[in-house]
Amino acid sequence: MESPQFSCKLGVLSRPDASVIFCEGETVVMAGIYGPIEVKMQKMLIDKASVECNYRPKRGLPGVEDKLYESLIRNICDTALVTSLYPRSAILIALQEMHNSGQLISCAINAACLVCLESGIDMKFMFGAVTCFLTNQEELRLMPPISDSAVKASFVFVLDNVKERILASHTEGSFSMEQYEEAQDLSRKQIKNVFAFFKKTLNSGKEM
Amino acid sequence: MANIGEYVYPGDVVKNVKSIKGITIIGPGLRQNEENPNTLCISQAGKLCFREPNTYWIEGKRHRYIPKKGDLVLGVVAKKAGDSLKVDIGSAEFAALPMLAFEGATKKQKPDVQVGDVIYARLLSAHREMEPELICVDSYFKAGRLGVLPNDGFLINISLNLTQRLLDIKDPLLPTLGKKFPYEIVLGVNGRMWLNAKQRKDILTLLRCIEAAEAD
Amino acid sequence: MAKQYKSLHPVKYYRDYLSHNIRPDGREFDEFRPTLLNVGTIDTADGSAISKLGRTTVVCGIKAEFCKPKAETPNKGFIVPNLELSPLCSPKFRPGPPSDQAQVLTQLIADIIENSHCIDLKDLCIFPDRLAWCLFVDFVCLDFDGAVVDACILALMGALQTLCLPSVDYDPALDNKLVNLEKRISVPVHSTPISTTFTIFDDKIILVDPTVDEENLCSGILTIVLRGDEICSLHKPGGSPLTDEDLSSCIEKCKQRATSIKDLIKTVVKDYNNK
Repeated sequence: MESPQFSCKLGVLSRPDASVIFCEGETVVMAGIYGPIEVKMQKMLIDKASVECNYRPKRGLPGVEDKLYESLIRNICDTALVTSLYPRSAILIALQEMHNSGQLISCAINAACLVCLESGIDMKFMFGAVTCFLTNQEELRLMPPISDSAVKASFVFVLDNVKERILASHTEGSFSMEQYEEAQDLSRKQIKNVFAFFKKTLNSGKEM
Repeated sequence: MANIGEYVYPGDVVKNVKSIKGITIIGPGLRQNEENPNTLCISQAGKLCFREPNTYWIEGKRHRYIPKKGDLVLGVVAKKAGDSLKVDIGSAEFAALPMLAFEGATKKQKPDVQVGDVIYARLLSAHREMEPELICVDSYFKAGRLGVLPNDGFLINISLNLTQRLLDIKDPLLPTLGKKFPYEIVLGVNGRMWLNAKQRKDILTLLRCIEAAEAD
Repeated sequence: MAKQYKSLHPVKYYRDYLSHNIRPDGREFDEFRPTLLNVGTIDTADGSAISKLGRTTVVCGIKAEFCKPKAETPNKGFIVPNLELSPLCSPKFRPGPPSDQAQVLTQLIADIIENSHCIDLKDLCIFPDRLAWCLFVDFVCLDFDGAVVDACILALMGALQTLCLPSVDYDPALDNKLVNLEKRISVPVHSTPISTTFTIFDDKIILVDPTVDEENLCSGILTIVLRGDEICSLHKPGGSPLTDEDLSSCIEKCKQRATSIKDLIKTVVKDYNNK
């Protein structure tokens, strides 16, 4: 089955502790991370680091929809990072959408994982995301169809690299139980490619 | 499953950990595995290293300095707060440096330190839950090389890995440069470097070399 | 004594209860709180309902206004949901612009409305490209005690069932609209999405219909929305990982719940119409 190509470039920005431009298919997201840094008094947690995520859309101000993505990515990173090692500090992840052609959420999550890995902040596990599309012909695929109207439903799965359990799931459209399970199986296959790409990228430390 | 010398990733597990009387020394990037005692969890991407008999650590890229007790660091005085100075050492929080932690300082005779001065100091304590504390004297109350650095030098930020490399005695870069022209250099393990030389030209050469070493 | 213990060691307090297979409020792990629904509560709104899940209370009011359809979808109206989490419902909310949580929940509700196609937006069009209805669906949370999305969706379903829009005669040539307030028509509701929230406690135990304490202490939340046999949203915003078996058992529980909630809505609406 045709699957999206990954490419990325590390260290694109000079100010953040780590930064990355990540492309999944035609979707592109830029991510940067600061951490652990000083935390605002009101957000300070005494037993762990407070993870903040800042998501910016391609144009305009962040809307209500972007807040949902932001909270999704924040929650995932909060689970994956060993926040108890850095109490009374903050970890700030900044994401900028560069181009969206369907897999925006999974691309942003993958960029966030790569930037966390690159920054050297301790993590319990790696995480990766896959978007599956269910077309009107009830066919599951990994590549986004050309027009939005051809999509019946889309699934985003976030899995960890240890036992490949579901860390997060976000769906759009309606679908049957069986289709959900099929999509899950498909994403399990694809997630291996995602992790393989992460490993290759980090190991070489250069752009891919 | 991870082997020594391999590039490892968070979530991997080190099995058959060697220990002496149940003691294993683990460095950055590794955590004890709660579920299975004889294994270690990896929490950082990097090369898994091992030294006989029982020391494990990960050599990875770390970008942000995490204070450790006993580290020699370079900091910039950020503010004066009564009897204590707040020093920026690149960690999440400013470090505290008491005015009395300088050689010969008393309640009446305080050292002359201004905001913006560069200070070479040792970390007296570094707990996660508390702000780090600095000291500018050794256990005999002598300053040694610690204290306020002269104002005519230059402070630059370099990566944490490069500082470790330059601090290694076997590393040829600094001695080679030293044969060409005289210079002064102070390295803080927090990724800061202070340098000075007699001539402008030499300072620029130094900076260029450091930059080239960084890209390497 | 129990009260002090609870505030000093909240997690341990819960663990002690859960190790005896019971929750602090006396429920089993898979037991729901008493669910109440009242429709047609607000006279001034075009459709309204109050739902209660245990102590969680949400009021939903729908107000219809005229608007011009978008050029790219000339034959569709709009539904604009908004959830208000005021300081009244929980001390953790402050007055002022909507909090992040309110925005996230609002977006989740908007997604559910869109994905379930419970209202066909074409039904809201009065005259293509000229005039359509815009439904402002406002949710006000009166008591924030967990599973707010479930309460919101239940209230929404109640409110939509009672939604009556005045009939409109539109004259496109003169751009003249004649509103007949006496003659009201209801809007067809095509499906009934039912939402169920689960929390994962200590990575293992799954609790249904959580209270706010459970939501705060848990390590993960999962919201499943069913429409008949189909799933129209499966939202798990991070938190502890879940195995496939747990997930399917959650969906199974959600199916049982959907049947009883549908009966509830049906009975309540029937009573209302007979009045």
